Amino acid sequence: MEMNRRHMLSLLAAGGTATALPGLAFGETPADPVFAAFEAASQDDPWTLGFTDAPADGFQSTARRLHGRLPSGLSGVLHRNGPARFSRNDWRYRHWFDGDGMVHAWRLDRGSDVTHTARFVQTHKWQAEQAAGRFLYPAFGSQPPNARGLHGPDDINAANTSVMMVNGELMALWEGGSAWRLDPDTLDSRGPRNWGEGLGGLPFSAHPKVDPDGTIWNFGQAASHDMLVMYQIGVDGQLRRADLIHDIPGGMIHDFAVTDRSLLFLVGNLAFRRMQLPFLDSFGWDDSRGMRVIAIDKGDWSRRRTWELPPGFLFHVGGAWEDPDGTIHVDAALSDDSEVATGHARDVMLGTPRLEHQSISRMRQITLYPDGRAEQAVFSDVCAEFPQVDPRYTGLARCLTWHVGWPDGHMRGATQIVQRDVISGQTRRYDFGTDIVVEEPLFIPSSERSEEGEGWLVHTALNKREAATELHVFDAQRLEDGPVTSWRLPYACPLGFHGCWRDL
Amino acid sequence: MITSMMTAMLLAAAAGSAPESEASLTVTVDGLAPQGAVMMALYADEPNWNGGDAVEGRRVAVEGSTVTVEFAALPAGDYAIRFYHDVDGDGELDTNLMGIPSEPFGFSNNARGNFGPAAWADSVFTVAPGGNTHALQLD
Repeated sequence: MEMNRRHMLSLLAAGGTATALPGLAFGETPADPVFAAFEAASQDDPWTLGFTDAPADGFQSTARRLHGRLPSGLSGVLHRNGPARFSRNDWRYRHWFDGDGMVHAWRLDRGSDVTHTARFVQTHKWQAEQAAGRFLYPAFGSQPPNARGLHGPDDINAANTSVMMVNGELMALWEGGSAWRLDPDTLDSRGPRNWGEGLGGLPFSAHPKVDPDGTIWNFGQAASHDMLVMYQIGVDGQLRRADLIHDIPGGMIHDFAVTDRSLLFLVGNLAFRRMQLPFLDSFGWDDSRGMRVIAIDKGDWSRRRTWELPPGFLFHVGGAWEDPDGTIHVDAALSDDSEVATGHARDVMLGTPRLEHQSISRMRQITLYPDGRAEQAVFSDVCAEFPQVDPRYTGLARCLTWHVGWPDGHMRGATQIVQRDVISGQTRRYDFGTDIVVEEPLFIPSSERSEEGEGWLVHTALNKREAATELHVFDAQRLEDGPVTSWRLPYACPLGFHGCWRDL
Repeated sequence: MITSMMTAMLLAAAAGSAPESEASLTVTVDGLAPQGAVMMALYADEPNWNGGDAVEGRRVAVEGSTVTVEFAALPAGDYAIRFYHDVDGDGELDTNLMGIPSEPFGFSNNARGNFGPAAWADSVFTVAPGGNTHALQLD
């Protein structure tokens, strides 16, 4: 059947034949060119393993130790999330971010082998589409054939972006709708989290920030209405406060930062224009003015300060802190354009990245002065994404940011783990080479009392040569030495976005 | 002369409501939780659908998983329905902080909107002279 279909596709691709053969169609569904393009690309490019559909019933295996031993004191579960189902009924999503979320649990415990379990989040969307055998709903960047209309954002909640632990419960996070509750041990889905009256189904973004006292801050964006909903959640997982914040320009906001006093939003120039489906098409590049930076007072959400930077785009912020005089320092992976979101993330679905859709994203250190001046310094020599900080220093003065890096022009994922001292400028790195696609590193302190940066970096990676997903652990202070231990699964998982660490 | 014009108008009015073009409509809504009420509005044209007035409105208490809503003595023609399940019985469509409905709602033909109500074109159905039924499902 597959061979026949490929043969038919190659006939079609031969040019002009289709129009000469009236009624040439595959049953009710004409061949999808994106599905066909990815099938073709996946024949000889192992990078496409990162965007291949995962099995519907998930993954479960013990990893094989490649070298080294798990450090004593590093005992926990690395949870990760990312899109992992991209096609149904031979029709493929047009945008990487549309795939249904799969949540992973990598269990690390000295003396035992690393184990891996992964399951799709059982969203309403997943369940309905799994039963139907086809995509039923519009997605962020795709409009499947005969898509249904919507009752609300959670109809299309893919729960595919990040994870966080809240008072013993795991949450799979998207950004357009509710957080999805999961049992952290079984990964069973428990349904959407409603934080309180009037908050059901509201957007809850994928990058909540946790203060040293455990207070959780997050936002949700209604770009069409220049509006955010802001959440303050206690360490007990109960809502302390939620309210709308108006007049936040409708540039797509994916992440934010906190200081001890402020909630900081960098609003890039991929701006909301008018509501269209798929939703991504509602946005367009607008550099008629600069990137806006808005600091909201944590204690009084009606108080704000604003700055303007040159036009740009970002997904991710590293971390921020605030001086006594109100000067704010923040680092972020910034690019001059949004090609990564509007071009590259579509190429991924075709299975063939194109150089003209490269965004050169660099870590930049931004200083926001009380008098309204803003400065930025570019401080990395490679493309950068997925910045992380020592979680104990969220909102506080610190030195270190870790991120993934890759050379300009390399279009098939990150190849390096990079550490940058944002004060001294010193850079350390480990380069895996282009066989490896490096995923987000998390920093785990070796103890509560250890110095900043004293601990481990844990990350997953796709080994293209071995067609397998790996887990690597670094001593964060000896990055150049390479991983202290590495483990390999007997299969390749789709590439994920973000994770969290749960101590055992 | 005036009298004959009035007679003609009355005759015309009578013709307008003649039995052959008078219709009734029975709407069933399934998939309900047994509490509160179904609030249903019937619209007769697109301009009113897009922000004007309904021609009829009904409130029917929900005591099982299904309710039946009756519209009698309607002129035959095109109509569309908006309804919601007023679960807490406060007479209002509850919404979340951003204005997204938090009580179940629907439209005739089981049509759905995208980021708003379903379109008239997707919701319109014809009520023919005589008895009509229209089945709706909440999911």
